[in-house]
Amino acid sequence: MFGRDYLGEFEHIVVLALLRLEDQAYGVTVRQEIEFRTKREVSIGAVYATLGRLEAKGYVKSHYGDPTPERGGRSKRFFRVTARGVAAVNRTHRALQSMTEGLDLIRSYS
Amino acid sequence: MTSRADFVEPPRMANWLIKLFAVGEEAGSLQGDMLEEFSHLASKSGASFARRWYWRQTRKTIAHLVGNAFRVAPWLTAATVIGGFLLNRLVSGLPERAIFAALERYQVFDHHFSAYLFFATYGIAIGHVIASMFVGCAVALTARSREMVATMALSLVYCAMTGAAVLVVLATGKTLALWMLPWYVADWFAIIIGGVIVRMRRSAVTNLILST
Repeated sequence: MFGRDYLGEFEHIVVLALLRLEDQAYGVTVRQEIEFRTKREVSIGAVYATLGRLEAKGYVKSHYGDPTPERGGRSKRFFRVTARGVAAVNRTHRALQSMTEGLDLIRSYS
Repeated sequence: MTSRADFVEPPRMANWLIKLFAVGEEAGSLQGDMLEEFSHLASKSGASFARRWYWRQTRKTIAHLVGNAFRVAPWLTAATVIGGFLLNRLVSGLPERAIFAALERYQVFDHHFSAYLFFATYGIAIGHVIASMFVGCAVALTARSREMVATMALSLVYCAMTGAAVLVVLATGKTLALWMLPWYVADWFAIIIGGVIVRMRRSAVTNLILST
């Protein structure tokens, strides 16, 4: 149990966005999905920095699509969550659930 | 569909800054993503709104790219900066020695005193700026794919040192020494310009390889 990596707050959000978007997950859609659901402005740089970190840990994989003219001849970089990434999300969820279990957050701390 | 006349380009300066800080294939997809969203915003909310959005994204993206470059290889970046600092100590005395050797060789002091004064003051300062640019290039060449982060960090070290020196000068009341301050600032920028030169050169080579 010890020594296993948990996802950071933004890493967690990015992985969940990838899972929601399935095979349509690339920079633009990931950024928009996070902004839409969390109502906070996110930079494309933050998304790429986090995805790079997750890829280095083996939690996501990426591949390049074909270049398109509306993107100035640049290709999209698609991301998908690996089995290790899904395990990390579950582990983080369980840890959060365990920590919040029994706490009446709204009544006690609002 | 957007016609050629309606096509709005993102701010060139912002685009150039992104190119400086983003590296490899990531740079292409990142710029592509930004262009895609920019075009969508420009047609939906107008060009000026889209440009403001693009600049905001550029600022935040560069901050993240710089932070990430430090996080990925902190020791390599630190070693490059220390190496650059030592190299600068080694080469910063060279312009002074070279200029005085030339002035003595051609007896400028006796024949052209005003020229002697110019070279002994501004000539040395310009020499330091050129030496700083050389150091910036050397640091950028060593810090592969982290050229801008390494040169900016080295420049910040000198910025902090100059700040401390200015405080000492002000405390001791020897404000005459402050005439050199603009030249020190020019040295910091020269280090960064060295990084920009190497980064742009590498970028051009990468684009050439990708296009062939």
